[in-house]
Amino acid sequence: MIQHFVAFQAMKDDILNQIEASRQVIINEKNKDDPFALVVDGKALEIALRNDIKDNFLQLAVTCASVICCRVSPKQKALITRLVKKYTGKMTLAIGDGANDVGMIQEADIGIGISGMEGMQAVMASDFSIPQFRFLERLLIVHGHWCYKRISKMILYFVYKNIVFGLTLFYYEMYSRFSGDVLYDGWYMVMFNLFLTSLPVISLGVLEQDVSSDICLQFPALYQQGQKGIFFSWKRIIGWMGNGILTSLVISILNVYVLSPSAFRKGGQVVDIAHLGLTTYTTIVWTVNCQIALIITHFTWIQHIFIWGSIFSWYIFLLFYGALPPEYSKREYKLLIEAVGPAPMYWIVVLLVVVISLLPYFIYMVIQRSFYPMDDHVIQEMKYGRKVVVDDEMWLREEKSSRKPTQIGFSARVDAKILYLKDQLHRKKMFIIKSIANSPIRRSISTNPLENRD
Amino acid sequence: MDQKNKNSKKPVYSKFSQQELPAWKPILTPGWVIASYITIGALFIPIGLLAWTASDSVVEIVDRYDEACVPDDFSKNPQSYIQNPNIKKTCTRSIKVPKKLVAPIFVYYQLENFYQNHRRFVKSRSDKQLRDVKAENDTKFCLPVAYDYDNKPIVPCGLIAWSLFNDTYKISTRGKDISIEKKGIAWKSDAKAKFGSNVYPKNFQKDGLIGGATLDESIPLSEQEDLMVWMRTAALPTFRKLYGKINTDIEAHDTIKVEIQNNYNTYKFGGRKKLVLSTTTWIGGKNDFVGMAYISVGGICLFMAINFILLYVFRPRRLGDPSYLSWNRHPIT
Repeated sequence: MIQHFVAFQAMKDDILNQIEASRQVIINEKNKDDPFALVVDGKALEIALRNDIKDNFLQLAVTCASVICCRVSPKQKALITRLVKKYTGKMTLAIGDGANDVGMIQEADIGIGISGMEGMQAVMASDFSIPQFRFLERLLIVHGHWCYKRISKMILYFVYKNIVFGLTLFYYEMYSRFSGDVLYDGWYMVMFNLFLTSLPVISLGVLEQDVSSDICLQFPALYQQGQKGIFFSWKRIIGWMGNGILTSLVISILNVYVLSPSAFRKGGQVVDIAHLGLTTYTTIVWTVNCQIALIITHFTWIQHIFIWGSIFSWYIFLLFYGALPPEYSKREYKLLIEAVGPAPMYWIVVLLVVVISLLPYFIYMVIQRSFYPMDDHVIQEMKYGRKVVVDDEMWLREEKSSRKPTQIGFSARVDAKILYLKDQLHRKKMFIIKSIANSPIRRSISTNPLENRD
Repeated sequence: MDQKNKNSKKPVYSKFSQQELPAWKPILTPGWVIASYITIGALFIPIGLLAWTASDSVVEIVDRYDEACVPDDFSKNPQSYIQNPNIKKTCTRSIKVPKKLVAPIFVYYQLENFYQNHRRFVKSRSDKQLRDVKAENDTKFCLPVAYDYDNKPIVPCGLIAWSLFNDTYKISTRGKDISIEKKGIAWKSDAKAKFGSNVYPKNFQKDGLIGGATLDESIPLSEQEDLMVWMRTAALPTFRKLYGKINTDIEAHDTIKVEIQNNYNTYKFGGRKKLVLSTTTWIGGKNDFVGMAYISVGGICLFMAINFILLYVFRPRRLGDPSYLSWNRHPIT
């Protein structure tokens, strides 16, 4: 026992020394761009991952560009993943194809299984599965990027639309002494999130693309937008909530001031609760759907059908609901056909409210696009703006520069070597230029002949 | 080739599943920005002008009479005046007509601080009872105004009907009476489908507190225009309801004499009563707000268009300028 303990202690000290020595090598390296790789085998890992020295090991590992662990058991794979996750606090991804990778796949934040030669166990334990390793690039850069933007846009829009809808109900309470009378008919409220505004959001969440897939692959730096989390920051959340509050105020106030107290039709009739509710609700449906049309950047026929179809289906619903006998339609009986539809004021109010509600967001969008454009905006313009001549050289140059920060499709070692050689070339050039400039022959030619006489 | 097809697990290609559907990708270039602002401005300003001129051509006369119609000795205690059945409530008002009123002229009564949209009030009615003569006992939501002292059902029941407005107006000008047409002031769908033509008022305003007008028991509900207008609960605490229509012109600078029966008790809750005479146009009654809103929005958009034109001229950004890419702005060495 004691012998084992002593031997074990010796191995631990040896590993600690190795870790320390490697760290010194990295620190002493002059060229900061030089990438380092760490190679560990299973037996050393067994000791290196023990509680007392794992911090040292992890500190060394994260400074290296890549770490290769060979001959590791499945349990160790899972253990490494867990430790790296905890130590760095970053999002981890694990990819594997065999049953021995299952532990690691489940431990990581995102687990990817490759289906194929070694069976389906990895696939069944994973979050995503791909048939070949090379598809990982597409999964991350294209689908990951799109998914991030889609989810952020969708969530922010969903919050906005429900704020607009809910707050108008609340403002009406202020006019009815908070007695709890509801401005809208019960069925209107059911229809809102179910039919009238849900399909456009689904089309946004499923089909939205800011740039096409080949551009995503050419410019991996766009993926950084997701890593930095710039589309779902607190600023954006509060901005959208503010937009919702402002829109609901505009809708509520405009409808009240436009429709009352004087008559709203040539026949001298005045509005009652049903008319005000209907008109306010119509303006909400229009505003909310036009707002999503402003957010969407990729319009397929599906988006068009869903957005304009939702608005159109609102009128169809009104016609059907109003045609039901008064026992069922109560206040809404024949509301659109008889009362509200023929009144030009109803249609005018919708146009006014929609434009005023969307104006603040439109101005913000214009200013951002024109003077503070984001990466995908610039790339979209480079690709799709017809006035710009697609300069192949510029395109290739930007492609290359975009790979550097992410190091995707990019061999760090090769690039470090290229940089080193460039640096050497530059130094040689400078040396030659300086030596020519300082040579006595040149000095005698270039300076003033009179001066040299001295 | 055949082997490839047999063993291939590649899914069938479709544009939808590969997300390659043909799409329109609009880009907000300066041209689009300026075009859209100018379009909105060019669309809104004419609409605004049309709406404003229409509203301007409407002649609206509003006359508040609830305070002036209380006799001086009761001015400190209007309640005792209004609740005393023995005092005559006749009150004569003179109104000067500023511009010519072209027929049809609509006569409204306007109430303020009257919450017809209070939830308890709105619920207090029975639509079934109004439609069907056999459903006269359907008074569940009408309590407490549901049964009279003999336990017979009140038709129409509920607080809304009970509080029916009962001021009346008689208008005359130059010594001649002007007839106010009281037919056709309610919505046609109300008269046809919501108020039964064989339902007659029963036991209405008989016992207890009288809240408003009484109804002629020989006229069916579908012809009780005032009741139908009143039962359409208003949306806001300040509202107008149609009283009647005048089908003759009233010349400018005439003085109208209105003989008001000041019956309705708004004094208890601090409500206000006003008489309104108004003509209408295609946008309805007098509503300067619409016209002004349209013109201001149109003006703002044109102003923004001019601003952006200047900005684009003096601080242009070339479309697709790669120096705006984030990796060029913060270069990583």
